[in-house]
Amino acid sequence: MSEQKEHGSGAIEPGDTSKRVGAEVIRERGVDPAELREKLIDAIGAEFTTYYYYTNLRMHLAGEEDYKEITEDARLEDRAHFELVVPRVYELEGSLPNDIRDFADRASCPDAEVPTPMDDGGNFDTSDLEVADILEVLLEAERCAIRTWSEICDMTRGADPRTYDMAQRILNEEMDHEAWFIELLSKERDGEINPAGHFARGEPGDAPYTKNTQFNDSA
Amino acid sequence: MSQSPNETWSVTVVIPEESSLDGAGETHTIDVAEDETILAAARSAGIWLQADCQQGWCTTCAARLIDGEVIHPNARRYYNEDREAGYVLSCTAKPRADSTLVVDQYDDFLEFRATNDKPPGNSKLSD
Repeated sequence: MSEQKEHGSGAIEPGDTSKRVGAEVIRERGVDPAELREKLIDAIGAEFTTYYYYTNLRMHLAGEEDYKEITEDARLEDRAHFELVVPRVYELEGSLPNDIRDFADRASCPDAEVPTPMDDGGNFDTSDLEVADILEVLLEAERCAIRTWSEICDMTRGADPRTYDMAQRILNEEMDHEAWFIELLSKERDGEINPAGHFARGEPGDAPYTKNTQFNDSA
Repeated sequence: MSQSPNETWSVTVVIPEESSLDGAGETHTIDVAEDETILAAARSAGIWLQADCQQGWCTTCAARLIDGEVIHPNARRYYNEDREAGYVLSCTAKPRADSTLVVDQYDDFLEFRATNDKPPGNSKLSD
């Protein structure tokens, strides 16, 4: 009969499935996994609501097909960001809110609404809707996302490489998005050439940083 | 008191002893221009205050106004109840008088918003 062997060490007893070493190692490095998880839910709430609101914004860029395509890239990539991080919330022993209204209310960024009031018939009053106003909404939504993911990078740097890796990938794409909308708004509103320095994505919503390794196929 | 355009106001930032911020227990007085936010001025002065969206929405930067006057012209989610209770969002708050505020009030502010059935307090604390 073989000698009984130890299967692990640390605060979690061998065979204990009620706790996760993947969370405890983060706590040991000074980050509260629950606090981080809640911040992630807020952040992906913003990605999810942005995906929704960008659908509306894109549609209202009538006749501006190039703007529509770029907004579509940003829209699909924001959805990719949501998809990328959802599994991490569960790994950190959290869950998505059951009520989507709660999810939207706690989103870390403002609703990116079409910048025009509704008319008496419940439709958008587009009589004074300007393309530049839509581009400004898009730009400010991207800037909010940059701030959010920068905060999460700060929070996880040196403590949680898995979440940090996700956050920095998302941050890369959000910075791309900001550059796109600065270029478009500068030209549309101010008549200024202010290059993003980028060319188009290969496919709509390519998400070269957050989908390129396909490490999240199991989600 | 009235001041000329682009005048600066003196804003005293009190960081509570129990804060997790690096400057816990410290008090700083900074100059804030009337078109500048208190958060931006503090960070420029080397005082790192917590914030996230910086659009007056997420409430991470919530603070209590002890003295003075601020306005929130660009806040996306700031209610009359907040103002009446003395809460400010430093990311969008611009001074209109010499002011004093206690920062790092996020947790208390979430409770306050929840009590008033306002987001994100109710959605964040309902789990």
